[in-house]
Amino acid sequence: MSARFIRLFFARGQALRAPSFMLAYIVRRLLWLPVLLILISLITFALGIYGPGDPVQVMMGLHARPDIIAQVRKEYGLDQPFPVQYWNYMTNALHGNFGYSLVKYQGQRVSDLIAKRLPVTLQLNLVSVCWSLPLAIALGIFAALKRKSWLDVFLRGMVILAVSIPVIGLQPVLTFLFSRKHEIGPMTLGPFLPVGGWGGIFSPQVILPAFILGLGVLAVFTRQTRAAMIEVLNADYVRTARAKGLKEWMVLGRHALRNALIPLVTLIGFVLAGMFAGSFIIESFYGIPGVGQLAYDALISKEYYIIMAFTLMIAVVYVLMNLLIDILYVFVDPRIRYK
Amino acid sequence: MSENRGLIAVVVVLLVALAGMVCLGVGALIYCPQPGSACAGLFGAPSNVSQNNPSQTQPTTAPDQSQNQTQNPTQNSSTNNTAPAGNVLRLPGGSGGGGDPPTLDPANTSDVESATYIVEIFSGLVGFNKDLKIVPDLAEKWDVSNDGKTYTFTLRQDAKFHDGRPVTAQDVKYSLERAADPRTRSTVSPLYLGDIVGFMDKYTGKANEVSGVKVLDNYTVQIDIDKPISYFLAALAHPTSYIVDKFNVESGEQPWYLKPNGTGPFKLIQWDQGQQIVLEKNADYYGDIKPSVDRIEFLLGGGSAMTRYENGDLDATRVSIADIERVSDPASPLNKELSIDPQLSTSFIVFNTRKAPFDDPKVRMAFAMSIDRQKLNDVVFKKMPVVATGILPQAFPGFNQDLKGIPFDPEGAKKLLAESKYASGLPDIVWSTVGGGGTAGSDVQAIAEMLKENLGANISVEQTDWATYLSQINGTNVDFQLFDIGWSADYVDPHNFIGLLFRGGSLNNWSGYDNPVVNQLIDDASVEPNLDKRIQEYQQAEEKILQDAPVLPLTYGRDFWLTKPYVKGAFYPPLVIERLKYITLDK
Repeated sequence: MSARFIRLFFARGQALRAPSFMLAYIVRRLLWLPVLLILISLITFALGIYGPGDPVQVMMGLHARPDIIAQVRKEYGLDQPFPVQYWNYMTNALHGNFGYSLVKYQGQRVSDLIAKRLPVTLQLNLVSVCWSLPLAIALGIFAALKRKSWLDVFLRGMVILAVSIPVIGLQPVLTFLFSRKHEIGPMTLGPFLPVGGWGGIFSPQVILPAFILGLGVLAVFTRQTRAAMIEVLNADYVRTARAKGLKEWMVLGRHALRNALIPLVTLIGFVLAGMFAGSFIIESFYGIPGVGQLAYDALISKEYYIIMAFTLMIAVVYVLMNLLIDILYVFVDPRIRYK
Repeated sequence: MSENRGLIAVVVVLLVALAGMVCLGVGALIYCPQPGSACAGLFGAPSNVSQNNPSQTQPTTAPDQSQNQTQNPTQNSSTNNTAPAGNVLRLPGGSGGGGDPPTLDPANTSDVESATYIVEIFSGLVGFNKDLKIVPDLAEKWDVSNDGKTYTFTLRQDAKFHDGRPVTAQDVKYSLERAADPRTRSTVSPLYLGDIVGFMDKYTGKANEVSGVKVLDNYTVQIDIDKPISYFLAALAHPTSYIVDKFNVESGEQPWYLKPNGTGPFKLIQWDQGQQIVLEKNADYYGDIKPSVDRIEFLLGGGSAMTRYENGDLDATRVSIADIERVSDPASPLNKELSIDPQLSTSFIVFNTRKAPFDDPKVRMAFAMSIDRQKLNDVVFKKMPVVATGILPQAFPGFNQDLKGIPFDPEGAKKLLAESKYASGLPDIVWSTVGGGGTAGSDVQAIAEMLKENLGANISVEQTDWATYLSQINGTNVDFQLFDIGWSADYVDPHNFIGLLFRGGSLNNWSGYDNPVVNQLIDDASVEPNLDKRIQEYQQAEEKILQDAPVLPLTYGRDFWLTKPYVKGAFYPPLVIERLKYITLDK
C-alpha cells in the first residue's frame, strides 16, 4: 500500500510544481471538504438508523418490552423520520452540539466524552512516534550505508520480526517480563514497570504501551528510509557532491537525507492522521482512558451520535492531513521554489 | 570512511531525538510542576482534583438549608482527598470487568456496573441484607394492608443526604415520580415499579403525578399497587426505586449524576473517566452497620487486573478464564485467596419451537442428548461454571436438587431422531450467536461439532453483534432457528426464570414454547400466597419444561474472586447489593 501511495503522491507533486496553481489547488481542495462531510454524515447516519440494532433496545437488554422501547424512543426523538432526525442532528452539530450519549455514558455530551479522551490517545501515539520515528530513520540510514553487510541483514530481520509479532502475543510476554515479580532462587526481581492506567507521558506506565505501538512505525519507517536512502545514495548528484570534495556528513545530511525524506513525509502524515482513529487494542489491554474504548462502546451499542462525531472528526483530519502532506511535499522537495 | 558515515548519521539523529524529548520534559516540568495542578489534564487525567461537592450545586433556597448548615458544618468540605494511608481499599471497577458505569442515576440503572456503585451511594426504602433477605433501610418499618395492595412506610428520622439534608416522605414521592417521568427516559422503571397505581399513566404522559404514591406526613408515605404481587418489596430494593435529592437532580449539572448527593454508606468524591472512581466513607451514615474503610478506589481501566493484584496494586480481582487453572491449583499460594460464589444465572441453548426441525419435541430432545455438557464444561469452560441440571440455578429458592438433568446419550438421541418426523433427514441448521471475530467462540464450535458427530446434523454458525442480536430476539416473534443465551436473575423469585422464559406469550419466551399445562402451573404459582406451594408449582412446571426440551440448560454461572487476606468481610453476592460497608482492612 505504502509504495502505491508514494507513487501517487509523487505524481500529484509533479502536477503541483507550477506555483501559480498552488493556491487555487488548496482552495479547490478545501471547497470539497463540506461536500465530503455532508456525504459522509448522510451515509453514516443512514447506516445508524436503518442498520439493525437500536440503542434503546441495547439499554433494555433482554428485558425488551415493545411499549417501553417505543415510549423511550419517542422521548429521544428516535421515532422521527430520517430527514427530520438528520436535519436536527446537523443543525445542532453546526451549533457545536454533537448530541448526547444514549447507552454507555448516559446523558453525557458527546463532545465532552471525546474531548476528555482524545488528548490521552494523542499523547500515547505521540510518545510512540517520538521514540520510534527518529530511531527508524537512524536505523534506516545505517542499514542503507551498511547495505549487504551482516548488520543490514540483521536489522532487516528484526524489522520483519517487529511487524510480524501480533500485539496479542507481545503484550502478555512483555507484561510477564517487566511487570511481575520474578523469584529466581533467593532473589526477587521486579516488577520493573507498573502496568495499566494512565499517568501522563512521563509516567513509567506509558513505556510498555508506547513501545508496542511504536514497533509498527519503527518497522515500516526503517524499511522505507533504507530503501529511499539506497536510491538516493546511487543518484548522480550524490556522486557529484562527493566528487567535488564535500565532507561526508554534508553529503549525507544536505544532499542525500533531504531527498530521502521526501517519500517519508507522506507516510508520516498518514501515521499522524491514524492517531485520531485510536489505538484501541493497546488501550484496552493497558486500561488507558483514550478514545479506543469510547469508539468500541459506541459501535457495539449503536450510539449514533458518538459514531457520527468520530466519523466526521476522522474525515476532517484525513482530508486536512492529505492536503497538508501535499503542501508540505512541495516544500520538502528541494526542486521546488516559490518566486 | 563508510563506517563513520553510518555512525555519524545515527548519532546525529539520536541526539536530535534526545534533545526533543528533553525539551518536552523540561517544558512540561515548568508548566506542570505538580501532578495535581490544573495542567494535569494535559499530561494525564487529573488525579487529585475533587469533583464532588454537591452542596455547591444546590440552590440556597433549599428548604432545609439552615438545618443543613447547623447540623453538618464539616461534611461538605471533602476536597481533601489525600487518604489516610492504610485504610484504602483498591478494587477493580464495577463488577470486576472495569470500564465506566453507563450511569449513576438510580432511576436508569439497567446494568450491573452502574448498580455496583449506585447501591453504595444511594439507598432505598428497603434493601437486601447479606443473606438476600429484605430488610428496612430508609424506611424503619412498614405495614401491608390485608388485601396486600397498600404499603405504608414509616421513614427513619435520622437519615440524611450526603450534604446533610434529612430525607423526608416528599423525597420518596419525588424519586418514584421521577422514575416514572417520561423525561427521565428510564427503560427499567416500568419493569420494577409499573405495578404502582398510576405509574404507567405518568410514564406515558397521561398524568402529571403518580396517584398511588401519597405523602401522609413528613415521615410517612403510602404506596398503592394494582395487584397483590409478592415481589413488590424486592422491586423497591432495586436501584430504580432508590431515593434521590431533588436539588441535586435539578442542579443543572450535565448530567447531574456526575456529582451525586445520595444517602448511602459511601459518597462519590471523584470520577476520572476511564481511570478511577473514588468513594469515601459517609461518616454520618444512619445504618446500623457503619462503613469502616475510609476510601475505596475502583480502577476503571480494566487492563491486566490479575497482574496488578499479584503485584499488590489491587486488593481483589475477578479471575478470568485465562488464569483459572493456575489459581485453582491447590499448590498455588493464590488458591488460599480464592472464593467461588454461585451466580443466579443459567446459560441456555434455545431451540426455536416455531421453526423446523425444532417443532418436533423428539428432535429437540435428541439434540439435547447429543451434547456432552460435562466435557464441554471441563475442556472449554475449564470448570468455571457447573453443569446445569435444571432451569433454576443453584442457590436460588426453589432449586430442585432431585433433578438429574438431560443425560448425554448419543445412542438414545439417534433413536429419538429416527422416531421423529425428520427421520428421513434433518434440514440444514443455522446457529446464531453473538460475536464479531473470524471464528465463533470455542463453546459454540465444540457443540456444533458434537451435534455433527452424534446426530449428523449440518450446522453453520452465524455471528451477529449484540445490538443486532437483541433486535432479533426481542418480543415473541424470534427469527433465529437455534441460538445460545444466558439469563441472570433480576429478583429472587422462580417467576423470574420459569414465568418470564417459558410462559406461553411471555416476551422473553424465546423458544416459543407454549404448553397449556405449564402455563396453568405458572399462572397458579404467580398468585399463590403460600411460598412452599408456589415453589412446588414452579418445580412441577420446570420438570415438564425439561421433558419437552424447548431449551437445553448448559451451565450455572459461578464467580471466581481473589481477595487479599487483610481484606476482612468481603463477599461476592449473586445480586448487586450493598456490601462495602461490611469490609474492614487489617493491614
